[in-house]
Amino acid sequence: MAGKPRIAVYWTGGCGGCDVSFLELGTPLLDVLAKIEIAFWPALVDAKRTDLESLPPRSLAASLINGTLRTDENVEMARLLREKSQLVIAFGACAHLGGVPGLANLSSREEFLRRTYGNGFHPAPPPGGRAEDSPPDLLPRAKPLSEEVSVDCVLPGCPPPPELIGLVFDAFLSGDPPPAGHVFAHEKALCEECPRTREDRRLAKLVRPHELLPDPEECLLDQGMVCMGPVTRGGCGAACPKGAMPCTGCLGPTPNAGDPGLAMVSALASLVRVGEEGEAAFAAEDQVLDSLVDPLGTFYKYSLPSYVRTGKRSDG
Amino acid sequence: MAEPKFEPRIVAFLCRWCAGAGADLAGTSRLRYPPNAIPIRVNCSGRVELEWVMEAFRSGADGVFIGGCHPGDCHYVSGNYKTRRRVHLLRRMLGELGIEPERVRLEWVSATEGAKFARVMGKFVEEMRALGPRKDKAVATAGLVAVRKG
Repeated sequence: MAGKPRIAVYWTGGCGGCDVSFLELGTPLLDVLAKIEIAFWPALVDAKRTDLESLPPRSLAASLINGTLRTDENVEMARLLREKSQLVIAFGACAHLGGVPGLANLSSREEFLRRTYGNGFHPAPPPGGRAEDSPPDLLPRAKPLSEEVSVDCVLPGCPPPPELIGLVFDAFLSGDPPPAGHVFAHEKALCEECPRTREDRRLAKLVRPHELLPDPEECLLDQGMVCMGPVTRGGCGAACPKGAMPCTGCLGPTPNAGDPGLAMVSALASLVRVGEEGEAAFAAEDQVLDSLVDPLGTFYKYSLPSYVRTGKRSDG
Repeated sequence: MAEPKFEPRIVAFLCRWCAGAGADLAGTSRLRYPPNAIPIRVNCSGRVELEWVMEAFRSGADGVFIGGCHPGDCHYVSGNYKTRRRVHLLRRMLGELGIEPERVRLEWVSATEGAKFARVMGKFVEEMRALGPRKDKAVATAGLVAVRKG
């Protein structure tokens, strides 16, 4: 097909941050926009679902889908875009691994509906069946995009850093699509590109970001912050640690780390030491480990639906 | 037909220097203890990756037993200390996932403590039997392929 490649950008259960993140490309964005045609992008152009449905299969060069899959409509749209596209790119942490909205999987759907809307809420169809304009049904759990459609490549991040977005467009516009399953981030850990220095490799206490103005040079983990750098892919230039905030793992785990939560538990367990290692220090060590608030939410902030199947979280 | 009695299935990771040797001693001393555990010998309790523990649960284990050297006795100096801290943190996470933290047990057993091995294993099996089958439907998982190909 002659002419510019046509693309779609779509959001499922996301916050809109991914759509905005394109702007971070800056002026190069104008070059990109000159080379493509936007066929469908609800945040930007007025094209309807019926317009998308009328397209022939695989007529879109690529669909960039952001957001977690949370409703049946999300799944329908993901499938529709898959059908119409040559490439489907999971854009951002939600589409990649489930993202922050995926933390809702720690509660059952009924539980969090009750908590949000009170006891009067019934997720039941209206009398006489489904009204034409009733809201889409919530899925029992949030899912990453790859659980419903095949994904050709992934652009991780919350939101994806502009330099990585640039790489995607470069690859895509060069007419040389990335290898199947490619993740547009480094295979090595974030620590590799972090300018902070590691020295004192022992943790005698844990601090939360608001409790400490960290030393500008020293490793944040060494200063007691739970930084996910050791288990997280690099590629963002260690943006958060450079800004004195610990990495929260938005680019997803490195291939070597596997399950980011379990890998981070091992990393922390190796570093936490109070005084001489040994039986006498056990209680003090446990106290340090217990001071970690919300381990699951910290370790799986962006990846819970991909690594933790179900949860049952007690209140409190 | 009577309801079959619940017998817990246990996966036991035993370090080769202490707990594993202790288990061998229990065997050669002909000590009796419940046969519910499948022993897996590892070089050090510090070698036990948490992914293995979760894999055991994912495969249907009712309990996971980790046996290591007494404090100060680790053949590799500090493997057992690392394991202790790991297990401590893992237990907190298990609780949130709906798996009782007691289902992971860490015990120090030396090579001469065959009797202790039989005793702690017997106690663990008994506790797991009392706890009953796992109530969580599914398990924390590792290894979901993030990108499905084709």
